[in-house]
Parts: sequence; structure tokens; C-alpha cells
Amino acid sequence: MERRCFDAMGTEVELFLDADDDPGALDRAEDELRRLEALLSRFRPDSELSQLNRAGRMRVGPELLEVTTVALAARARTRGRFDPTVHDALVAAGYDRTFDELAEVEGRAAYRPVACGGRVAVDHATSTVELEEGFRLDLGGIAKGWAVDRVLAELAVHGPALVNAGGDLAVCGRAWPVGLDTPRGAITLELRDGALATSGRDRRSWRGDGGERHHLIDPATGSPADGDLLTVTVTARSAAEAEVLAKELFLAGDLSAATAEADGNAIPAVLVSRDGATVLAGGLR
Amino acid sequence: MTDQVRRLYVLALSVLGFFLAWAGIAAHPWAAAASQESTSGAALARYEQRLRADAALVDELRAQRAALPAPSVRVVTLPPLTTTRSS
Repeated sequence: MERRCFDAMGTEVELFLDADDDPGALDRAEDELRRLEALLSRFRPDSELSQLNRAGRMRVGPELLEVTTVALAARARTRGRFDPTVHDALVAAGYDRTFDELAEVEGRAAYRPVACGGRVAVDHATSTVELEEGFRLDLGGIAKGWAVDRVLAELAVHGPALVNAGGDLAVCGRAWPVGLDTPRGAITLELRDGALATSGRDRRSWRGDGGERHHLIDPATGSPADGDLLTVTVTARSAAEAEVLAKELFLAGDLSAATAEADGNAIPAVLVSRDGATVLAGGLR
Repeated sequence: MTDQVRRLYVLALSVLGFFLAWAGIAAHPWAAAASQESTSGAALARYEQRLRADAALVDELRAQRAALPAPSVRVVTLPPLTTTRSS
């Protein structure tokens, strides 16, 4: 079993490959993840995403075009609960730099909610994306999930593989035991040919005037989501889809509403509330 | 009031009325109403186009999802190979 660890996309990345037919496979997987980060990060001024956010309308490459399309499809399916136009709301909430840099900031400006739900037009014929004036894209979580799926597909050619990028994880080829820490102890999930994503306010949160803020913006209010949930872990066919489902359940309102949604839609999920209650939902046993 | 003064008043009022009518006609109020109608019609068409595009994207995503193998997950008591956490 080959294993590779490195930092990319604002988190620690782990690659596992249960094959030894191609010694360069993990090198190429790492390079691909770094290349996608350079294209899709909102924290890099020279990324294609940052250029689009500055220009408002731009001809883009196939990767940005596809991630934007996936994000817009997710927005349509979730009726706006997942929204890639939360960029300015995130910045207004204080998440205006990488999380590592955020820890060093002292004294924050007064917070104000920012409208989300901006119009985004994708023209596949000309590979052009156009943003409504006053709106910018944040593809953070879904871009990471999409990149994980893409790298996994490349490793899958060689054999059973696992890609773990912080809260976005995807596996193929065999059953993989994956640990998940909860306030009531660690759980191990055995996952086969699927993905996991965890959304939560336990890590990417910070203090601002008026209390704690975090990075999970509710597009309905334009401010960090309220409610009693701490983390939501979801299983799906792909990491991009799991990322959307995890955010969708997190924004359901509270633990009971999220549990009902996971059960009603048969979404295997681990839901943890801020008081430590841990619920297995959606048929997960 | 003499007839001459009355005629002057009538003349002044006529000139004023003429200019008011002219200003009213020159403002093309009917054109504004028509343009408002065409603007809201175009907005409605754009909204319909956006809904159709959104529906097509949802269909595409559903088809992509259906093409992938169904994931299998269960809770086990094995030691984990790796650990996941909030993104």
C-alpha cells in the first residue's frame, strides 16, 4: 500500500493506493490536486476563479466551467440552500483570507449580512461564465470535493484508492475503514465505492464582534447559519455530491430537522449537535 | 376689463395651453408604457430561460449521479486507516 501526505487546498491531503504498477501515480495525483487548487482557489489572486470574480464575465477553462456548472446544478436542486454566490457574505463575515492567516487577525469590522443568490450565466458554447453585478463566486467546498473525485478517478485506473482532503474523502476498489471523531467518541465507517463529506462549525470558526462566526453561510439570511448543529457527515456517490448534501443538511435548521431530511431521503449521515448529541440517520448502522 | 385686455388674456392662455400640450406630446408617455411592458416581458423571458437552464443542469447532475456505483457504508469496530473531519 502506497501512502502520500501533503498540504493543499487549505488542508492536509492523504492519498492511498493499493497497487504498485506505476510508481509515479501518486506524484501525478499530487500535481493534479495542486494544479486544480491554483485554478479554483479564491485566496489566490492569480487563480482563474479570482480573475473571473474581478472581471464579472470571462471565457474560462474546462475545469472552472465544469465546477461552476455542478455548483449551479446543486443550487437548483437544493432550491438555493447550497449557493456558490456566498463569496461576499463570507468576506463580510470575516473569512477574507486563508484560515491560517485568519487566526492572526485581531479586531474585526462590524458584521453585516450580504445578499446571496446572484445570477450566474454559463454559456457552454463559448465557455463563458457571467456573474451578476455585485456577486462573486466561492467554490471552496464543492471545488475540493470535485477535485477529490477527479484525482480518485485517476488513481482508480491503477487499483483500489482513497483520497482524503480534510472533510472531503472518496474511495474505490474495496472497503476502507474511515474514522470520524464525535463528542461521544470515535466512530469507524466502512466505506466502499463512495464518498464522505463533513460540514461543520467546529473548525473554521472565529470570534467577531457579537460572538462566534463560522464559514457556513445560510444564503437565505446572508450570514453564518444559526442552529444547534455542530457537524454533519454525509455519504454519497461522489465527494462533490456529499459536500452539497452535508451543507444542505447543516442548513436544515436543527438536529431534528436534519435527521428527518436524512431519514426521508435515505442519506446515510452522522449528525452531531452542539451539545454533543450524535445521531446516525438515513439508514446508517 | 376692456375687450382688448380680455383678448390678451385669452391669447396668453391659448399660448400657454399650446405649449403644455406640446410638452405633453413631446414626452411620449405612450412610448414609456410600451417600453415598460417590453422590459418586463424580456425579464420574464430571461427568468424562464434561467429556469430551463437550471432544470437541464439538474437533469445532467441526476444522470451523472445515476451512472456512478451505489456507495456502501456501515459502522464497524475496525481501527480506521485514516480520519475525516470538518472541511
